[in-house]
Amino acid sequence: MTEEYDVEFVEREDRKARFLVRGVTPAFANGIRRAMIADVPTMAIDTVRFVENSSVMFDEQLALRLGLVPLTTPPEGEFTEDDTVTLSIDVEGPATAYSGDLVSSDDLVQPADENVPIIELKDDQRLEAEADAVLNRGKDHAKHQGGVAVGYRHLQRVEVGDDVPEFEEQERRIVRGVIEEDGELVPTSEFDHDLTNRYPGKEVRVEDVPNAFVFHVETDGSFTVDELVTRAVDSIEARAIELEEAVQL
Amino acid sequence: MMVPVRCFTCGNVVGEHWEEFKARARDGDEDPAEVLDDLGVERYCCRRMLVSHTDLVDVVSPYQ
Repeated sequence: MTEEYDVEFVEREDRKARFLVRGVTPAFANGIRRAMIADVPTMAIDTVRFVENSSVMFDEQLALRLGLVPLTTPPEGEFTEDDTVTLSIDVEGPATAYSGDLVSSDDLVQPADENVPIIELKDDQRLEAEADAVLNRGKDHAKHQGGVAVGYRHLQRVEVGDDVPEFEEQERRIVRGVIEEDGELVPTSEFDHDLTNRYPGKEVRVEDVPNAFVFHVETDGSFTVDELVTRAVDSIEARAIELEEAVQL
Repeated sequence: MMVPVRCFTCGNVVGEHWEEFKARARDGDEDPAEVLDDLGVERYCCRRMLVSHTDLVDVVSPYQ
């Protein structure tokens, strides 16, 4: 892209962020979104070997639950897609087995959330299993999907017009997302998503700002939002380079 | 049977909030909507996962 682009954060936390990107085409914005969902590799349990399972759920049900637990994903380059990390779990009833009971063979790969109940065990029930976690992409299984509820909206600009006729009832004007006002970004939640709260008694016109998108990104805890977005963009770049090399004469 | 680990629709991890939700809204007398807001379960797809869940382990365990 020849145009200059610009990124500005509206909201920024470890696992959740909203940011504005200017100067990208709708196609590229959608490309980033899709890469965040399907093309960023994350760690997840893929194979489980049960030593003992006398709980009320079947082996395969527990294996699915273990697979869905998010694991922290090591920095890029530490692991390749063929490497495995072994995690083990051993809980004896009466107790509840939590994701935090998984013991990992690698400090870089740990359960991101410790409080996910895996199975409730009654008296004399026991769960002992060994699991292999692998690096894979959201394309192959939703458990490898690092980005959750990733989406974007156009940045919107509000033009304030004339006064509403005196005796006319004013209708609510609902807008969701972020609006731009004199270069300042205002999340619509500040005025309850209703423009008549912000500009009472005024006619308003809302229009999209061309090539400006407000992304909303959350992660499942595998990495921070920053990591997710940069890895998604890196994956687009890597594929673009690959394509360029492939079509060269 | 056990609470789903993730939301079926968006993939957010909801399982980790179950025990607190259960203690405060089911067994306690707090308003479920407020508890969910407090836990940061915002979207209605994730909220229904917790609101509509029933633990069945106690029901099936006698039939092992």
